[in-house]
Amino acid sequence: MNELLGLWWEWFPDLLQGFFLSLQVTGVCLLLGIPLGLVFALGVSAPNKAVRLIFLFVVELGRGAPALILLQYFYYGLPSAGITFSSFTAAALALAYCTGAYTSEIIRGGLEAVASGQREAADVIGLNKLDALRFIIVPQALRIAIPSLLGFSIIMFQASSLCFTIALPELVSRASAIGSNTFQYMPVLALAGIMYAVVCIPATIIVTSLEKKLGASSQT
Amino acid sequence: MSSVSPVSTAAPSVIKVQKTEQAFLSLKGLHKSFGPYEVLHDVSLEMHKGEVLAIIGPSGSGKSTLLRCINQLSPPTAGSVSMDGVTIEAGCSSSRNDLVKLRRRIGMVFQSFNLFPHLTVLQNVSLAQVRTMGRSKRDADKKSLELLDRVGLANKAELYPARCSGGQQQRIAIARALALEPELMLFDEPTSALDPELGLEVLAVMKELANEGMSMIMVTHEMHFAETVSDRVVVMAEGRILEQGISREVMRNPQHERVVQFLRAVRDR
Ligand SMILES: Nc1ncnc2c1ncn2[C@@H]1O[C@H](COP(=O)(O)OP(=O)(O)O)[C@@H](O)[C@H]1O
Ligand SMILES: [Mg+2]
Repeated sequence: MNELLGLWWEWFPDLLQGFFLSLQVTGVCLLLGIPLGLVFALGVSAPNKAVRLIFLFVVELGRGAPALILLQYFYYGLPSAGITFSSFTAAALALAYCTGAYTSEIIRGGLEAVASGQREAADVIGLNKLDALRFIIVPQALRIAIPSLLGFSIIMFQASSLCFTIALPELVSRASAIGSNTFQYMPVLALAGIMYAVVCIPATIIVTSLEKKLGASSQT
Repeated sequence: MSSVSPVSTAAPSVIKVQKTEQAFLSLKGLHKSFGPYEVLHDVSLEMHKGEVLAIIGPSGSGKSTLLRCINQLSPPTAGSVSMDGVTIEAGCSSSRNDLVKLRRRIGMVFQSFNLFPHLTVLQNVSLAQVRTMGRSKRDADKKSLELLDRVGLANKAELYPARCSGGQQQRIAIARALALEPELMLFDEPTSALDPELGLEVLAVMKELANEGMSMIMVTHEMHFAETVSDRVVVMAEGRILEQGISREVMRNPQHERVVQFLRAVRDR
C-alpha cells in the first residue's frame, strides 16, 4: 500500500499537468461549441428550406461521425488539404464541432419548450423576429437547456481523453506514457481514473439536483 | 350596411358617436380557416374611436380568433381589416410596413398574461419601448414606472413576475401594452384565469381605461361588467355575429333565440 502511494506521489505532478490540459481543452471546446450549437439549432429551425437542409446536414454529420474520427480528421486529415493545426487546436475544433452538433438538439428542445404565448406576446408588442429571439425566446430556451448542457459538458470532459490519439499531452496520454515507461499500467490508470471521478461525480450530483430544482420551479 | 344590427337602429339615441362619422376600425367580410375548418364565417363589424365593445358568446364560437384576426396575430383567410386609414386585405401580400403600422397601434392582453418570466416587471414594460419606439432606457423606465403606478404596482417594479399574484400579473400585462401608446386595446378574457377577487382589480383598471376614452374590444364572461362598462355588446356563436347593439338592450332584451339561451345559461351558472 505504501509502495502504491509512493508511486502515485511521484506521478501526481505530471498527471496534474495533463489534468489541467484536459480541463483546458474541454473548456475551449464548450466555449466554442455551445454557441455553435445555438447557431445550428436556429439554422435547423430556419424558415428557409435550403438553409434548414444545409444545417441539418452539418448537424447530422457531426452527430453521426464518432468523436475519434473527427479528431483524427482535424489533426491528420486536414494537413493533406494544406491546413495544419497544433494538436491542441485540432482537438478544440474537432470537439467543438461535435459539441455544437449534439448541443444543437438540446437547445432546439429548449427553443420548442418555450411557451407559444411568449412568442405571441413578443409579437404583439412589436418586437421583430430577431429581437424576439434575442430577448425573449433564446434566454428562456437556454435556461431550460442548462441541466442537459451541463450533463453533456461532463461527458465531453471524459471524451477529451480521446485526444491522446492525436498526441495531446492530456491526462490519459501522460498516464499511458508513464505506463509504457514503468510497466505499471494498472496503478497509473487507476490514479488517472480517480482524477476524472473527482470532477465528474460531484458535477453529476450538482447537475441532478439543479435539474430537480429547475423542474420543480417551472411547475409553479 | 350589413354590419348595423336591427337592435342598434331601434335603440334610443344614447349611442355616443354618430353613425355618419367614419369608422375608426372596420372589419369587412372576415373569414378564418384552420386547414379545412372555417371558424369565422363572414364577420363584419365597425367601431368608432373611444368606443368600448364587449364580445360575448359560448366558448369555441370564434371570439379569440376574431381578436387575433384584428391584430393579424392570426391573419384572416379572407376579408379586410382597416384602422384609421391603414387597410390590410387578406391574401394580398400586404406590405410588412402596413402590418407593422397596424400592429403597433393595437395593444393586446391575453387570458394567460404571457409576461416574460426571465425579465423583471420593469423590464417587461420597458423592453418594447426601447426596441420598437427608440426610447432611451431612462425614458422608457420612467414611463414604465408611471404606468405601473397607474395600475397600482410601482412597488413591484424590481420583482420577477412569478412573485406577483395573477391579478397583479394581468395589470402588469396591461401596463406593458399601454407603454406603446396603443389607440385600440384588445382584451381576451383577461379575468378568466383569475380568482374573482383578483379579477376585480383587473376590471377596475379596465374600467378606468374605458372612462379615459380608450377604444377597447374585450372578450369577456363577466356579464355585469360587459353591461355596465361597454357601449356595445356583440354576441357571437359558431363563428358568426348573431346580434349586436347597446349593451343594456342586448343583455336585457335579446332578439335572437340563441342569444336568449346563451344569456340564460350564463346567468344560471
Ligand atoms: N390554431 C388553431 N388551430 C386549429 N383550430 C383552432 C385554432 N384556434 C382556434 N381553433 C378553433 O377555432 C374555433 C374557435 O376558437 P376560439 O376563437 O378560440 O373560440 P372562443 O375564443 O370563442 O372560445 C374552435 O373550434 C377552435 O377549436
Ligand atoms: Mg377564447
